[in-house]
Amino acid sequence: MEGLKQALYLNLIKDDRWQYLTEGLKNTLLITLFATLIGIAVGLLIAIVRSTHDKTGKLKFLNAICKLYLTVIRGTPALIQLMIFYYCIFVSRVFSGVFVGIIAFGLNSAAYVAEIFRSGIMSIDEGQMEAGRSLGFNYVQTMRYIIMPQAFKNVLPALCNEFVVLLKETSVAGYVAVQDLTKGGDIIRSRTYDAWTPLLIVAAIYLALTMIFSHFAQNVERSLRKNER
Amino acid sequence: MSGNTQDREVLIDIQNLSKTFGDLNVLTDISTTISKGDVVCVIGPSGSGKSTFLRCLNLLEKPTAGHIFVEGADITDPKADIDQLRRKMGMVFQQFNLFPHMTILENMTLAPIKLLKKNKEEADREAMELLERVGLREKADAYPAQLSGGQKQRVAIVRALAMHPDVMLFDEPTSALDPEMVGEVLNVMRQLAKEHMTMVVVTHEMGFAREVATRVMFMEGGNFVEENEPKEFFENPKNERLKAFLSKVL
Repeated sequence: MEGLKQALYLNLIKDDRWQYLTEGLKNTLLITLFATLIGIAVGLLIAIVRSTHDKTGKLKFLNAICKLYLTVIRGTPALIQLMIFYYCIFVSRVFSGVFVGIIAFGLNSAAYVAEIFRSGIMSIDEGQMEAGRSLGFNYVQTMRYIIMPQAFKNVLPALCNEFVVLLKETSVAGYVAVQDLTKGGDIIRSRTYDAWTPLLIVAAIYLALTMIFSHFAQNVERSLRKNER
Repeated sequence: MSGNTQDREVLIDIQNLSKTFGDLNVLTDISTTISKGDVVCVIGPSGSGKSTFLRCLNLLEKPTAGHIFVEGADITDPKADIDQLRRKMGMVFQQFNLFPHMTILENMTLAPIKLLKKNKEEADREAMELLERVGLREKADAYPAQLSGGQKQRVAIVRALAMHPDVMLFDEPTSALDPEMVGEVLNVMRQLAKEHMTMVVVTHEMGFAREVATRVMFMEGGNFVEENEPKEFFENPKNERLKAFLSKVL
């Protein structure tokens, strides 16, 4: 008991080391949140291009670009993409590591979100599109009012899962000099030569975040489904 | 071929309509007209092209050849405003195709509000009147999943009617229903016919065709091989294949 107290004091209180963790948590959440927004926005665009092509045969050129994008992003490690963005593309250090992290993880996540959305769109019965069109809605209106709301509901669990994956994936951001939660714990480890305590605390914080988020997501999902069956 | 449509306004004029899927000829060189107030029932064996014919009328299927004029405008012209045209042609599907994420009322008012720019109060009021007519007023705030098949189909009919169409297309509207629910849907359609709605109905309900239709058409192998007013059609069929078909289904 005395040992635990001692370890917590050494790793958290002494020299205000807890600040490594709070600063790290702030950056982890910043990256995750904004990368998610980019991922959803870009992913949705790609999904619309891809499913429009699948359904109508139009947008051949855009579809080919999107397919190439998905292949490259999903076929290479996120860490390599992050390092390419940091060391090759945003060479000027005007851009903070957090900013580069948001862009890199956002564009990475977009590839996965795109396929999630596309599967959601394709899962909606063709009769829904026909019913919308037969009322006089054009393709875009039918997508917007009839297909997308249903598709979004269907993919919400997968989307939440992608958010959790992204949150954990940002733990490699330390590679490009971002002081995220993982890096914060690692700094403490290097100062105190105690590996157990800071790493377990960091793990516990990630776990708490994903559990809180999963719980929240379940509630949203339930309230969306309430009236349907 | 006979018909009593000469003296009334032609609503849909179909000229040499053909449709192929790959190598398969589904419709071959169909020409016919549908006049205002007609209740045309299309019958025939499955795979004969009935549904494809119906779906060509509002371009859910794109004809391979031929022309379709609706109220004088050639809808097969690539420049035709299809979305505008479809507002005037209500369609009812075998599988209902209600929007599951919306209440019944929202299902019915979505198109009038977004496309006809009606305000919500007016659209709601009209929708409630329509629901009243089909006995589903109390279901306005329910979701489609909470309705029986017959109720869903009645909603699908009034959802199409909310756009004030000039013609209603029915694609086997009772084929997906339990037998005891067929009657309630046919009653709504019978009522519509009485109000002189122009209707094209693909159906297997021979009783309905005989009683309500102004003209019955028999499709076989991608074309209409016989058409007549219902009494003559059912009591005195001339085409051999129609005779064989009727002997099986009546």
